[in-house]
Amino acid sequence: MRKKKICMVGDFSVGKTSITQKFVNNVFSEKYLTTIGVKIDTATVGEDKLIVWDVAGRDSLSPINASYLVGASGVILVADGSRSSTVGVLLEIWQTVTNRIGSVPVVVALNKADLDGWQIDDHSRALLDQQGWDVFATSAKDGKNVEAVFKKLVEIMNCKES
Amino acid sequence: MLEANLQQRINAQLLDKLQLAYICVDSAMTVVEVSDNLSSYGYNDIVIGANVEECVDFMFGFDAQTQLDLPMVQSPSGITISVSLLPSDSLLTVLISNASNQADQRQLLQQKANENELLVERQEKLLTQLEQASEQLESKNEQLEEASRLQTSFLSGVSHEFRTPLTSIIGYTNLVEQSLQRPADKTGSDIQQKADHLRAVQRSSRHLLSLVENLLDQGKLDSDEIMLRPKATNLVELFQDVELLLKPLSEAKHIELTISLGIDDSTIVVIDDSRLRQCLINLLGNAVKFTDHGSVSLTADLSGDFLSIKVADTGSGISDEDLEKIRLPFWQAADTGKAGTGLGLTITERIIELMGGELEVSSVLSEGTQVSFQIPTPMLVDQECAKILNPTQSLADMAVLLAEDDHDIAALMMVMMAERGVHLTHVENGALALEAMQSTSFDFVLMDIHMPVMTGYETLAALQQANNLTPVVIMSASTVEAGRMKAESLGCYDYLIKPVDVDDVIEMMNHVALDKGADHTC
Repeated sequence: MRKKKICMVGDFSVGKTSITQKFVNNVFSEKYLTTIGVKIDTATVGEDKLIVWDVAGRDSLSPINASYLVGASGVILVADGSRSSTVGVLLEIWQTVTNRIGSVPVVVALNKADLDGWQIDDHSRALLDQQGWDVFATSAKDGKNVEAVFKKLVEIMNCKES
Repeated sequence: MLEANLQQRINAQLLDKLQLAYICVDSAMTVVEVSDNLSSYGYNDIVIGANVEECVDFMFGFDAQTQLDLPMVQSPSGITISVSLLPSDSLLTVLISNASNQADQRQLLQQKANENELLVERQEKLLTQLEQASEQLESKNEQLEEASRLQTSFLSGVSHEFRTPLTSIIGYTNLVEQSLQRPADKTGSDIQQKADHLRAVQRSSRHLLSLVENLLDQGKLDSDEIMLRPKATNLVELFQDVELLLKPLSEAKHIELTISLGIDDSTIVVIDDSRLRQCLINLLGNAVKFTDHGSVSLTADLSGDFLSIKVADTGSGISDEDLEKIRLPFWQAADTGKAGTGLGLTITERIIELMGGELEVSSVLSEGTQVSFQIPTPMLVDQECAKILNPTQSLADMAVLLAEDDHDIAALMMVMMAERGVHLTHVENGALALEAMQSTSFDFVLMDIHMPVMTGYETLAALQQANNLTPVVIMSASTVEAGRMKAESLGCYDYLIKPVDVDDVIEMMNHVALDKGADHTC
């Protein structure tokens, strides 16, 4: 089985841990508990064993610690579709990623799609479209597109390797 | 040997005391040495000779040459650790320290900071929503104020519009009544004077009627209830009719009213004549109202199956700003000092749309206004025209029954029809109508809807049940579309709205006479 390290990155409170836990353990909690440092989990997608680094979100007190990214084969950029500021900050985070580990395979999860009034504004949509990223509207709560986002990243990573 | 063991024990105690653990790997990432206390962080399966990337998840993807600090990594035991990768010569030491206290403190701080920031974001979002709601409320308030202003202006306009013709009607009928009380004067001037008075009464009555029609149609506009009922119509007669109606208004203001027709006298088209008449009265009425000097002209041309109409005046004109509002219901220019309901143009535009046309308005302030539209008007072939224009049957021979409970209307209908050579048999309700129809064979029935004992609907239903095919024309004061549809479903021949134009009744009788024997229902 091939091992691959991937990192979940994004602003604070966008649901990185929730998506990871939904995917790895099929659990979801409404309670918000901020991640400190990094949590490491493993999951299997096809022939690949993923080592998922759930990295603490970028916040007002600290940027993302780029050391956690070393050795990653891909990243999942996570934003909260109901907070447009978290979409805007993805470019800045992507810059941090590429500065440290280069342009690795990436997919975008616009999370909390289950919320009322969840809507990506035109500016954010244009920003994502410009990057040419694969974007998924996800919901860690009801599981919408959670598996799809990991599978897509694995597909892109395998495609790049072959 | 003893010294080495002692040193090992001291080292182990020191590591425990400092809560430190370590893994040493060679350049191939093979484990060469580990501290005994690694298991306290949940790393139980690390054996000498194994690849560290296989047995320690956080080591996957690293190499033996890179120095790196990984603060606050959650270990398999749940304890938060800090990891330092320290390369030296051909070895990499992975130093693990307990960072749980630091992580707990950071957790408290970070949790509060993040929650505060989320709260601020939510507050900002709520404030934005509040501002938007406030703006919407303000806009709604402005709309309500405008609606209230329009309503007040509408009521005042309606009041004025009603009072003017009513004053005329009351005044002239008083004059006629007074003249009848005087000794008989058979001079030509007296008769002419009475005729003038009665014409003024008729003019005002028609004006009142068009006002009521507009008011009722406004309600229908909201519910999309306005429906067209096209029929064969002589266009020239229709325009002459409109001219006769508007001429007195223009003459009273000393304005020249001209109607130029590029249409053959015998042209018969299929159109809802009453709706077209309503539109023309509204447009010409507006033109006359807003013109104090000069002229109002109407030109109409029939080209192919399209009728083009243009109404132009030399009146006060409309500003560009007001041009955008004139089609709104109840809207009236504030500074004209002209009364009105502000409904005429709204209704006219809707009717023209229903007819398949589009109303275009252009205007220059102080110079005048032009209103034009083009509507499809299919023409009838000559043979069909001839039938309509020259009915061959004599109406005097027709047996006609009138079912009407209002004695004034019944008397009026009998007099007016008698003048056209038609004599009516009058009954006061539906039951008496059925009785009369059993004893006499009528060719044509005129029937009111709201009658005592048996209504028009009930009578129609009884006739339908008895398979009696006598053409029954309903005369109703109700303009509600549902009433017409109910009567139609019960097999009425046609449906006329009161006040009924006798010419319409005669036209229907002509049709009945022509279609005699054929099954013709509306």
